[in-house]
Amino acid sequence: MPRSKNRRVVFQPATYQGIQRGINQMVEAIRPTLGPRPRIVAIDRILDDRMPELLDDGGTIAKRIIQLPDRDEDMGAMLVRDFLCRLQDQVGDGTATAAVLFQSVYNESVRYLASGGNAMRLRSYLEKGMRAILDHLTSMTVHLAGKEKLAQIAQAICHDPPLARLLGEIFDIIGEHGRVEIRPGRGRELEREYVEGMYWERGLVSREMITDHSQFRTEMENAAILISDLEIEEPRQLMPVIALAIEANIRSLLIVASKLSEGVIALLLANNDPEKLQAIAVKTPGWGKDEQAWALEDLAVLTGGRPFINVAGDTLSQVRVEDFGHARRVWADRRNFGIVGGRGNPRALRQHLATLRASFERTDGPVLRENLRARIGKLMGGSATLWVGGATELEITARQELAKRTAAAMRGAMMEGVLPGGGVSLLVCRRVLQRMLDQSTDLDERAAYRILIRAVAEPIRTIIANAGYDASEIMAEIKLARSGYGFDVTSGQVVDMMGAGIWDAAIVQKSAVYGAITTAALALTIDVLVHRQEQPKHVTIRPPSARKRL
Amino acid sequence: MDIVYSLATSPNFERDGICFAARASGLFRSEDGGLTWQAAYASLELETPLITASVALSPDFEADRSVFAGVPGGILRSVDGGQSWYIASLPSPPPFVSTLVVSPNFAHDGTLLAGTMEDGVFRSSDRGSHWSSWNFGLLDLNVLYMAISPDFANDETLFVGTDSGIFRSRNGGRAWREVNFPADFAPVLSLALSPNHANDGVLFGGTESHGLFCSDDRGRTWSRLGEDVVTDAVNAIILSPQFPDKPDVLVLLGEGLLISRDGGQSWSDWKSGLPIEQGLASVAAPLGLNPEAPLLVGLVEGAVLRM
Repeated sequence: MPRSKNRRVVFQPATYQGIQRGINQMVEAIRPTLGPRPRIVAIDRILDDRMPELLDDGGTIAKRIIQLPDRDEDMGAMLVRDFLCRLQDQVGDGTATAAVLFQSVYNESVRYLASGGNAMRLRSYLEKGMRAILDHLTSMTVHLAGKEKLAQIAQAICHDPPLARLLGEIFDIIGEHGRVEIRPGRGRELEREYVEGMYWERGLVSREMITDHSQFRTEMENAAILISDLEIEEPRQLMPVIALAIEANIRSLLIVASKLSEGVIALLLANNDPEKLQAIAVKTPGWGKDEQAWALEDLAVLTGGRPFINVAGDTLSQVRVEDFGHARRVWADRRNFGIVGGRGNPRALRQHLATLRASFERTDGPVLRENLRARIGKLMGGSATLWVGGATELEITARQELAKRTAAAMRGAMMEGVLPGGGVSLLVCRRVLQRMLDQSTDLDERAAYRILIRAVAEPIRTIIANAGYDASEIMAEIKLARSGYGFDVTSGQVVDMMGAGIWDAAIVQKSAVYGAITTAALALTIDVLVHRQEQPKHVTIRPPSARKRL
Repeated sequence: MDIVYSLATSPNFERDGICFAARASGLFRSEDGGLTWQAAYASLELETPLITASVALSPDFEADRSVFAGVPGGILRSVDGGQSWYIASLPSPPPFVSTLVVSPNFAHDGTLLAGTMEDGVFRSSDRGSHWSSWNFGLLDLNVLYMAISPDFANDETLFVGTDSGIFRSRNGGRAWREVNFPADFAPVLSLALSPNHANDGVLFGGTESHGLFCSDDRGRTWSRLGEDVVTDAVNAIILSPQFPDKPDVLVLLGEGLLISRDGGQSWSDWKSGLPIEQGLASVAAPLGLNPEAPLLVGLVEGAVLRM
């Protein structure tokens, strides 16, 4: 059927053909990046004339491909792009695996449907097979701990030994919920630093509260803390609190409030007397009312204080001595404030953490999960900063992104466990699918299992091929070996993957399987494409002739 | 009161008779197996007594003569058997060091750890010269007791008893995780790991008011021992050096010493004639728990008895 700019509706078989071409283009751009010996994909810059972007990560490549010229193909490509982007955002890795799985399932399914199969029935059996795969992956999952094993997990994700070593050490210390900030480094090397206690992104309300001018921060020992989201407009509102603190022989006071007027700040500065009372103030942490409420709750549990909440009608006139929180040390600079050694009830803290962990397990929403994870990490009592150095700015940026993705995937691995790597865990699932195939008599069902049996071998084939080996030859060798054996592309040997420390994060594998099969199965039920009259407006692309010549 | 908080004996006690007692009035040293004592801080020429709540000796004491003592705000270390001392200050505000442990592999790793009353755990990897706090995951900074794995060189495992329960580290004290010990039974005043902990996973925990507990799976599950007799605060637990082959367990209660010869199933008084009315505060068993082996018992009023 001729393609015309004015055509609005596309029917079968052009629908499948167009979508399939788009999927193939997108996946073939990502396929070379699968495995520890990936190829590079160069992506032309849109906005400037710098050298092309060199990428070896499937998710980032997918994000860069924002449109294909052919609108039918573009539909297929965007289907893939969407689920890969979501996968990367959720688990940080597994996009190339998911892409080749998706392509295999879709292409083989289209071939079957062309011979008379039913798309809806095929979809339901594909999803049934997917559930069996996920169950089997779960049964194979093991949990690892310790610096060396965590480094091996990191290595399997990032293929950067120095980075993997540091990330292994960091996560061994901070734990799966722990807070790690990944920042561009100051030199060529990787560096890490551990910060004791917890801190929030709110700084001193006035630089005149800084007492250590060499470090640009203030530290107080055995400090009392007023925890609130109140707006303190008038100095006279704060006077009773100050008087209370002095009367109780409190020498150091941290005031947390959502707003302090210039007059209130002036009062604090004027009355700052290390012999009597040193008081500093920071704004209530959190963006938005919910985050502020959670931050106050955490501060209260940590320090044993009572939060004063605006919406509850609390006022400063109600403050009593026992309402202050306490900490062994409090520090603040212009950007952050922190607490070391909160003097709250440890039992209450443990219970609070247990509650947050339970909420984390129950929650599906990524934003809420991330918020809960951050709170748990903070309350665990420390954080790490990883500075990622490199030879060039480009290298630093790429390595920083890699570190962030690896950290996200490692969290998942620590929480959900690991599987034999190198595509082997999926290959092992063929046994389960074969059993289901043998037991079935329905044509569509048998077709679904055959399609999945072929698909789950695609990642390992791709890894082997990308490393420059003959996939068929190596697959034959693996078939003769015991279950759990796969190909170590680094050594060029067929090995026991778990024994060799070659792992994949279980959450990544399972998310890739789930995303790939459900999206492919859904795509099979697309019968009609409807295009808008006009092309959607994307970023304006400068034509090549308008670029500067070097 | 001049409580004897802690006793530490030389690994070669049978030959050299050297032991130390950490007391409210300072650190004291004996060279005759605990029969007579001298002030160990004489070289410091202190004007007022320096309360010392913990003391530990290097496992290679015969070679390196290293002694460590926990004092308010810092840790004193000696490299000449307690004749002279160096101070390593801990970060302000001054922590109170309640417990000290030295790595069994100290000759190679130079590692020791200090537990404090309000500031968690401090760690040194340069033989006590410099210290830094490592409290990741330690949700309770009131450390009452610390125990180190005999196989620390390989498993890097430690346990701390706190006001609210037990925490474990598997990376040499850099990070801690809660152990599944019921918070209702805390505070945990004392801990003891089996000499074969790496294989049998056995550890004992003594509580303030709920008696003695034992785990044989590295702290995942716990069972109470001697429920009828071990009812007082368990201030110390000592296992036989040959445990579990020789399953002797000694517990120091506020008002008595009990011994079990069957891993905690049945109990009897260690010996009669203990001055229980004076209050028992600490104990050391430098030569094991055989009936004829000597025990050093520190009293609340400051004396140390050799039994």
